[in-house]
Amino acid sequence: MVRLITHNLLACHAKGCTTNNFPLQIKDAQLALREAEFNPDFLRGFIPRIEWAALVSAARQLGDESLPNEVPEMIDDDFLRGLHHVLLEIHIDEGAMVCPNCGHVYPISSGIPNMLLAEHEIG
Amino acid sequence: MSPPRVAVALVEGDPSTYETRYVHDVYEQIASHFSATRYKPWPIISHFLSELPTGWVGLDSGTGNGKYLPLPAERPGAVWTVGLDRSLSLLETAKMAGGVTREVVWGDVLGKGWRRGAFDYAVSIATIHHLATPERRRLAVRRLLESVSSTHGRVLIYVWATEQDALSKRSIPSSRTDICVTEGQDVFVPWVLSPSMPPQPRKSRRQEGHQSKPAVGPDTSPVPARQKFSRYYHMFSEGELRRLVEYVANDLCLPIGRKEDHPVGTSGVEIVQSGWERSNYYIELRRWGL
Ligand SMILES: [Zn+2]
Repeated sequence: MVRLITHNLLACHAKGCTTNNFPLQIKDAQLALREAEFNPDFLRGFIPRIEWAALVSAARQLGDESLPNEVPEMIDDDFLRGLHHVLLEIHIDEGAMVCPNCGHVYPISSGIPNMLLAEHEIG
Repeated sequence: MSPPRVAVALVEGDPSTYETRYVHDVYEQIASHFSATRYKPWPIISHFLSELPTGWVGLDSGTGNGKYLPLPAERPGAVWTVGLDRSLSLLETAKMAGGVTREVVWGDVLGKGWRRGAFDYAVSIATIHHLATPERRRLAVRRLLESVSSTHGRVLIYVWATEQDALSKRSIPSSRTDICVTEGQDVFVPWVLSPSMPPQPRKSRRQEGHQSKPAVGPDTSPVPARQKFSRYYHMFSEGELRRLVEYVANDLCLPIGRKEDHPVGTSGVEIVQSGWERSNYYIELRRWGL
């Protein structure tokens, strides 16, 4: 599955591509919304690990404008529920992720991203 | 039924092509049967995952059918493990491991398709022993150390040992005079598909350059209705895994030891524990530093 929690971790690793290789741009996404169990303790611990600007822009690419530009100082239940939805309930079932630097395309099929490189693309 | 015979393997030609034939293609073929049989987490792995702080995110590099993705069992959802594997067939199982939607990625354990240091922890269970040269095994360890945080990242690695426990179903050839390895032993381990478990259809989403035929082992005999595959393993000798880690740490300019014993402002890696458990060697590492 590709949810934004995973997208926030992925970076391009094609040969020679070491700068501006994150975040990957989401293209032609077919989305599905699936409920996931809400775990506020996990989210509180996870927030400092998020590349926030990348998450906000990825969510907007998928048509979700709910996240604030900055992580709020007061983390309340409403914010956590919104974050939960964006990180864990929006699935990219089909589509692709494109490197902003070198243009390498990482396809997504049946919810599984293909991060394999051909032999000559491995750095 | 007699225990499966393990045969000595000789790695020849391009190691990546060799692994495609004797590892990846085999797992694609046996995935459904394999998934039906592998389900018990080993105690040291369960313990490692149960000690992780809530909110951590990790990588299971070579996740197979994803059996570690639901852990820790006593705190479901407390940490988030992303599963990576070369076998798409296994990932189809892994993505619903434990009956919950998981995050899985189709990729190579020698790749680095992550933000550097993106993870808090990484596990590599029964995976690195499928890589066919010392250089590739070192690179796999390097990728694990690079994938986790340089300040607190934890890594657990598990590989097959030449020292097999008495209860093991595997019988290991004792002669190693005709093989040319400095450490450990390269072997083929048979996998027999019974008629009730037909091989899965091949996936069409193949990378270019990996079009070799599914592996049939060197000792395959034409048995009707029973298909036999040979998987390649490098079995680790005592101390080999630790030396591998030491080599990689040195390459990354990371001193090995405890943070307390080194000057403030430096970074390094601590070997928290290493040993042998149930026919496997394991090592647990913690990065520390700025
Ligand atoms: Zn790139």
